[in-house]
Amino acid sequence: MPPSIHPVDLILALRDKHLTPAIVFLTSRRACDEAMQAFDHSQILLPPIRQQAIADVLEKVIAQYPSIAEHPLIPTVQRIGVAAHHAGHLPSWKIAVEELMRHGCLDAVFATTTLAAGVDFPARTVIITQSSIRKSRDFTDLTIGEVQQIAGRAGRRGKDLVGFAIVTPSPYIDLNVLTKGFTGHPEAINSQFLISYPMVLNLLKAHPLDQIQPILAKSFAQFQLNQRAEVLERKLDGLREQMEPFGPRVCTDWITEWQTFDQVRRQKSHRAPARKHEPPEITARFHFLTPGRVVGIGRSRGVVLRQYRSKGQKSPMITALRQGGGITESPASTVTEVSDRVLDCVDAPVYPWCTPESVEELLRHLEELPGRLPELPILIPKDDEPIPDAIVQTLGDFACPTCPSRSACQRDYPHASKLRQEQQRHLKSIQALRTSLWHRFQEKIDVLQEFGYLTPTAHLTADGEWARLIRIDHSLLITELIRADAFNGADPAMLAAVMSSIAHDDDRPGAFPRVSSGLGSLLGQVRKLALSLSPHEDPPLLRADIAAVTERWIGDPSLTWIGLCKSTTMAEGDIYRLLARTLEFLSQLHTLKGTHPGLADTASRAIANLRRGVLEELP
Amino acid sequence: MTTQELEQLLAQQPIALLHRLARGRVQRHFRAGKRRLIEILLRHSAENRAGFESDLMILIGERPARPIPPAPQAPAVRKPKPAAPQHRTTHRPVEPDSHEPAITLSSWLDGLGVPPPKAFVPDAWQEDAIAKLREGDVVVSVPTGSGKTYVAVEAARRAIAENRTVIYTSPLKALSNTKYTEFSKIFGADQVGILTGDRRDNGQAPLLIMTTEILRNLLYDAGGGEIDIRLDTLGLVILDESQYIADPERGVVWEETIIFCPGQARMLLLSASIGNPHDIAEWLTSIRPTPCHLVRHSTRTVPLRAGYLHPNGKLMPLFRTIGIPHGHPSHLHPETKRLFAQYEDETLPTGRRR
Ligand SMILES: Nc1ncnc2c1ncn2[C@@H]1O[C@H](COP(=O)(O)OP(=O)(O)OP(=O)(O)O)[C@@H](O)[C@H]1O
Ligand SMILES: [Mg+2]
Repeated sequence: MPPSIHPVDLILALRDKHLTPAIVFLTSRRACDEAMQAFDHSQILLPPIRQQAIADVLEKVIAQYPSIAEHPLIPTVQRIGVAAHHAGHLPSWKIAVEELMRHGCLDAVFATTTLAAGVDFPARTVIITQSSIRKSRDFTDLTIGEVQQIAGRAGRRGKDLVGFAIVTPSPYIDLNVLTKGFTGHPEAINSQFLISYPMVLNLLKAHPLDQIQPILAKSFAQFQLNQRAEVLERKLDGLREQMEPFGPRVCTDWITEWQTFDQVRRQKSHRAPARKHEPPEITARFHFLTPGRVVGIGRSRGVVLRQYRSKGQKSPMITALRQGGGITESPASTVTEVSDRVLDCVDAPVYPWCTPESVEELLRHLEELPGRLPELPILIPKDDEPIPDAIVQTLGDFACPTCPSRSACQRDYPHASKLRQEQQRHLKSIQALRTSLWHRFQEKIDVLQEFGYLTPTAHLTADGEWARLIRIDHSLLITELIRADAFNGADPAMLAAVMSSIAHDDDRPGAFPRVSSGLGSLLGQVRKLALSLSPHEDPPLLRADIAAVTERWIGDPSLTWIGLCKSTTMAEGDIYRLLARTLEFLSQLHTLKGTHPGLADTASRAIANLRRGVLEELP
Repeated sequence: MTTQELEQLLAQQPIALLHRLARGRVQRHFRAGKRRLIEILLRHSAENRAGFESDLMILIGERPARPIPPAPQAPAVRKPKPAAPQHRTTHRPVEPDSHEPAITLSSWLDGLGVPPPKAFVPDAWQEDAIAKLREGDVVVSVPTGSGKTYVAVEAARRAIAENRTVIYTSPLKALSNTKYTEFSKIFGADQVGILTGDRRDNGQAPLLIMTTEILRNLLYDAGGGEIDIRLDTLGLVILDESQYIADPERGVVWEETIIFCPGQARMLLLSASIGNPHDIAEWLTSIRPTPCHLVRHSTRTVPLRAGYLHPNGKLMPLFRTIGIPHGHPSHLHPETKRLFAQYEDETLPTGRRR
């Protein structure tokens, strides 16, 4: 049996049961494109009247958006009445497909789940072929809310009496996720309050420092933190009641007294040789040094092939494949950097610990990786400090051995101390819940003071005054570049190119035009600065190949859209999005005309060059 | 359990279950075939065998009961692994399936069609939302395709009639463009403007469309003392798709917008169905000058049915009932259950096909 139904059979089955029009959600853009290709030689044609209706609608859309006149999918759309709609397409093409759907011209649209929420794009039937979606490089199960948004496109008000959501399996589908999604209640949503540098600057521009905490307290984040704190407070009330029998005895704080006494007693009796501790950060990191993990070792880079503990010392060790092909055994402590990247690695039980093909693959990937990789955030647990020897020596100072309450204390201690630990844990959590936003805000203030955007009294400095207008991702890098005069003498094309390499956050590989030498060296400078800022702001990918696309478009006004698309393997829709994002970044630079007229002028010339052809079609 | 028993038990499970088991344990497990996946899982289980076995048992227990596949009549092909089915049923709890007979395909398809044309009558919840906006802010949480746009349009119409400015925001530029076209048709091109980072088309119009980021920036500029557009006449702010407040990267923009939205303007939050809309409404009430009213419902206007299409072209209802059996994910249609089990077994990359 085929792993999934053939697109032509699918359309036939849907037509047969009067289940068209349908939206077919597929796992990837490629799957959508391949589905369209499957109709190339198909003879399941639409009757001429319907073909004409499609031509009429398309003609109107083309009049408004000439960029799609030659779209390669048009013949199939017209003959068969099916279309594809995904992020690789131009917005104008997507509008055309939406328009066709609204007029009821199509039998099916192959789309990815990115089909934006809110676009009025309903159909009689929705076909679901997957139970998970790719989110930041990994597959995650669809949530109930997501399943319902997808299925919810089935059934058009006024045009359908019923809507149909039909699951058709493909490999790796988990039917449980979907049935739960259909029958369940959508999940509660949670605040995702990120405090950014521009937020801090803009708040401090409008409000003095002592008014900030009440403002943060107005966030949905704090509202939800308070809800959690209230739950803990109710638990605390319960604990307080349970603690009543364990109030003051001979000494007020008998629990602590007994605990110290008891601990000292044990330490003395054991006198165990002090165990050699490995630093907690090594232990914490070691968990992540799994096969395939990209790490920095000394100055160079490598991929972990296996981890183990050395025979004698039991110290943490890794075997790594290094750039250039060497395979080395090194102590985990020599790892200088743990990146968030894990490469595919088919492991083997003997040296070199993975299959030979894998070694080659890994080496190739290693070479292709960008110069800078985001580091994996690793939490390092604080070790409990052992009780200093000085106390151990003074066992005689405790009153417990002769105290009348000794037996009661000994009996109640385990229970009482457990309750109290719980109490303290809750108190700490409540404290953290009430203050965490403010602390995160203060951390940002500290950085902005260090860099001179804020005065010691948290007022905006002259640089802070303009820096607050840069309200995009990687704002710190951009404002620091401006302060370092990095764009001095850069032409519009170069400025736009750098902005696009900062804006672009997709690591999809591809073939691209060459970078000019001027841009190459400017990007080198940007990369260096981004690296030095990495403790305060995650560095962007800074892909030079991506920058080159923008440089060509802006640098050569005679270049046509088709010409630009031909120079790279990047999908049309991705180029459009890249340029649209670059435009956003440039328009933020343009707002600096008061303080940086030269830069603002270069930005506005870049915008003027960028906005042509396809990029002129929409606001 | 001996390793051999464990291996056998794993081999009897559908690959989807193995993938779920592998999640969090094995990188890129979705790339591995069944055999390979079992190997990897066994290797990983060595570290924490007990935990692994208990996870496996939980997953097996969770799976809806599956009819024992009819004893393989043609034993020729699948000989190598004889241990399979009998073992399986022993540790699976029996599901309290409903006793009504499962529906047929034709009854499931019955009722399909186009409703007779009807004059537009607003739904009660739509009227309710518009009316409540007189008294304060409103949060609407209703299923996809219910007609939230109607509420936005009518609310905007009223505010414009009272000479107030209306701002409508969406999370995506593409959506803003669509609404720009749609609203221009409804209100007339001169009444609607659109703002983007570098462009301002008809910026003085009473109804302004923009992405939520652009509005947030306007509010910051107003807070910093530079009045950009006429925020003093702002009467209504509509945040469409406001479930985006939970977006990991951009969600904060919705919070900033709501926190800094001028007090004299009403807020209308339109959202798809979410689990805790009352939290959002309560939050707004706690920080805004007027109380916030929640309008929610979860019934779809056009009823939904779920189906299953087997790769061989056979169409079946997904559940035993015509409609969606809310709260009962395991009420699968028996025939569909059988077909899907067969699908999982047959698509495994076992020794037969390499
Ligand atoms: N009261 C009504 N009676 C009949 N049809 C209606 C009614 N209200 C809205 N509609 C129609 O329902 C369709 C969906 O409406 P709309 O796009 O506003 O949904 P929505 O709730 O915004 O969905 P989404 O979640 O996709 O944003 C539109 O075609 C609209 O004309
Ligand atoms: Mg909508």
